[in-house]
Amino acid sequence: MHKRIAEAFVGEYASGKSENAIYRALSLKKAGGKVTLVDFDIVEPCYTLRPLKQELTELGLNVLAWSTSETFGLGEAGQTILPQARWALRREGHIIVDVGYGADGARALNLLEGSAVDPDLRVVLVLNARRPMTDSAMRIEEYIESMGRVDGIIANTHLADETTPQTVEDGYHIIKEVAKRRNIPIDAISVSQQFNEKYPKFGLDDKELRVLGAFMPRSFW
Amino acid sequence: MKDLKEKNETKDKYAVRPIVGEKRAFATGNEVVAWAALAADADIMYGYPITPQNEIMHYWTRMSEKYGRGFLQTEDETSAGFTTLGGVLAGRRSFTATSGPGNMLMQESMCMAEMMRLPTVMIVQQRGGPSTATVIYSQQEVNLTCFGGNGEGFRIVYSTCSHQELFDYTINAFNVAWTHRFPVFVLGDGYQAKMREPVTMYDPRDKGITMVPTEPYVLKEGCAGVDREPQQMRNTYNTEEELNEVVEGLNAAYQAVIPQVVKHEEYACEDADYVIVAHGVVTRAAQAAVEYFREKGLKVGHFRPVTLRPFPGEAFRPIADRAKKILVAESALGQMRRIMTDTIYGCSTPMVNFFKPGEGISTEEIIVKVEEMMAEDK
Amino acid sequence: MKKEYIVDTPRMPVSWREETKAHKFCPGCGHGLILKALGQAIDELGIQDRIVFVCDIGCCLLAWDLFNTDGVQTHHGRAVPVATGVKRANPDSICIAYMGDGGGYAIGAQHLVNATARNERITVLLANNTNYAMTGGQMAPTTLIGQKTETCPYGRSIEQHGEPTRGPEMVAAIAGHGAYVARGTVSQMNQLKKQIKTALQTQLDGSGFSFVEALATCPTNWRTNAHETWQFLNNNMGAYFQTGEFKKPEEQEV
Repeated sequence: MHKRIAEAFVGEYASGKSENAIYRALSLKKAGGKVTLVDFDIVEPCYTLRPLKQELTELGLNVLAWSTSETFGLGEAGQTILPQARWALRREGHIIVDVGYGADGARALNLLEGSAVDPDLRVVLVLNARRPMTDSAMRIEEYIESMGRVDGIIANTHLADETTPQTVEDGYHIIKEVAKRRNIPIDAISVSQQFNEKYPKFGLDDKELRVLGAFMPRSFW
Repeated sequence: MKDLKEKNETKDKYAVRPIVGEKRAFATGNEVVAWAALAADADIMYGYPITPQNEIMHYWTRMSEKYGRGFLQTEDETSAGFTTLGGVLAGRRSFTATSGPGNMLMQESMCMAEMMRLPTVMIVQQRGGPSTATVIYSQQEVNLTCFGGNGEGFRIVYSTCSHQELFDYTINAFNVAWTHRFPVFVLGDGYQAKMREPVTMYDPRDKGITMVPTEPYVLKEGCAGVDREPQQMRNTYNTEEELNEVVEGLNAAYQAVIPQVVKHEEYACEDADYVIVAHGVVTRAAQAAVEYFREKGLKVGHFRPVTLRPFPGEAFRPIADRAKKILVAESALGQMRRIMTDTIYGCSTPMVNFFKPGEGISTEEIIVKVEEMMAEDK
Repeated sequence: MKKEYIVDTPRMPVSWREETKAHKFCPGCGHGLILKALGQAIDELGIQDRIVFVCDIGCCLLAWDLFNTDGVQTHHGRAVPVATGVKRANPDSICIAYMGDGGGYAIGAQHLVNATARNERITVLLANNTNYAMTGGQMAPTTLIGQKTETCPYGRSIEQHGEPTRGPEMVAAIAGHGAYVARGTVSQMNQLKKQIKTALQTQLDGSGFSFVEALATCPTNWRTNAHETWQFLNNNMGAYFQTGEFKKPEEQEV
């Protein structure tokens, strides 16, 4: 019997939340058991799981997201929560929730039934220290404060195809400094497949290295 | 309101610099615009929500609080446009951002800006049209942005193709506007707005760029009517002759500005038999296509107008005359082409249209089109 | 020999601009009186150096150079957003948006409503003369029931056109704390001046939005002589449009 994993991925706009959520869901699937991946993005209609629904379903995930054919007037009238998504925590197996960005931070989770009392649920913050709003220890700390609740961090610093080991390392150290101060564990470091092929030996502090697929670029709008 | 007043009274409100030094960042186009406006010492943004430009407002409001700048969310884009004029009249570096139906509503105020030479800055992230259409992408706001309203298009429109250009041209837009006192538009699109890519952000001062100082149109030093003539501005005129004189005056001023702002880029055009014309994000596909053909030793070039208004027709004419054929690639039904052909009137080089209204254009598609043109000539 | 004339100089507000007088309104028009009251209020408050006078389209635009203050003439309905934009960017300015009933209650209605709701620290002064005067006397939101205009030649009917808009009542209903809302008339100049002065004082204090509607005469489009003009203003308009203050800054919310 696996321990039930319930994780909600939060973070700054374009921080890599969705890619990390997909990675996590797929790796849990590989390890066995049922996995539900939930699209909880309520601000941003572009780059959501919606266009990937079929592909991810074929990979064995139970995906709770709108299908493109079911949506209408994206960005005008289409930003509603899929009713099933609201009750996702009641489902059997592992639950990975991809929470969109927004001024209210992790409070979007209030819309997820049972999120406040679920003993397994962890709020995981994805951070890219090259994102302008989280590019220094001070800004990251301010950002974490605005989130309300953070139980773990994924260090996901990159500059797309310009990423070097130095980019990842510099970001990691900034994030580590804040994580230590606020006593939040760093769950893992994530990098792209492309980066991993270029620098296969890369690693830091014996942290788990998550090599992300490149699902999201195909999900634009 | 009191807070805003205090903010305005803080003398060293720009003492804390939002960007120190040069920074390579990973960002979306909308964010880049907000940071650029911040770095350019923009004082106030007026805006109304519309996709795909929302994050410009999201990021501006997140940061304007921290750096003592102003923001007003208005009741509609008509109001956002006119309040922006108000900000400019008060002598503040003011801007707004919109898209599609919002762009339509803002044309009213931009006409007033043309008539009264008000240096407004407006960012347009084009979406599909006509009507509500899509919130995603197109190049269908070229007509509107270049010639919207009941006037003559006395304005400067930059069509950007990347995040770096969104950053550079947003800063530049404020300076061009306050130097020449015509409305300036940065014409992006939904793809540029939402895509994520690395960009170098900087404080213009560190690059030797001086922000052109602003000055109030109303409430200058001294009491109106006592220490100085009152500053009374109008856009209404009585007779045909009076208006004609005003418009001719505006035109003369605009014509004088053209050589100083008109801008284009050439890619292997010198000896090109086939010239691809594209603007905005489509230039990226055109550039890659040129690289592909040149590697094969084929004479394909690309001409990119950076300013769509004024259009760089003079620079394009000799290239167009020399070419065997011209391919015009646009995510619209020839909105740019109409402006272009007007400026090269008399050029007899055949033109092939590759129009995809509301849809992106890929390198591969352009390659296929050019190969078809070549095959016809064999 | 220079001939001496005895000149009886009319007493104009100091903040009026002498070179642009006589003003350009029709004989008997109410605008001149409203603007006189405004001029006096500006004089008494001593704020000529801080005024930005923003005028709408319609007869009100004839006032674009009436004052010895800075000013901007805008598009129809857009005086409120321009004034708002100036005020937001320069909170020390005293911004007055001057318009007619068409500009405020029809084409610019959503600007008026939302500026009120946001409690913008500007002053809106609106002339209600029950018609679109500059375009030739068409029906306005304020045209009275039975009143004939070029676009309701058989008289305004409730069935066809609804009831005339009561502006200050509408504005007062949505105005926030610290706002001032009143209706005056050019037949009560002291009251009107006092209302305008209170409105400007409200803006000076920064307590909220301020709005004054002034009932105004339009003999040209009403096709009335002096006596009938005054009768229409006081009796017909007066019966439907109550003058007085609808909201005052000191009133506490219940």
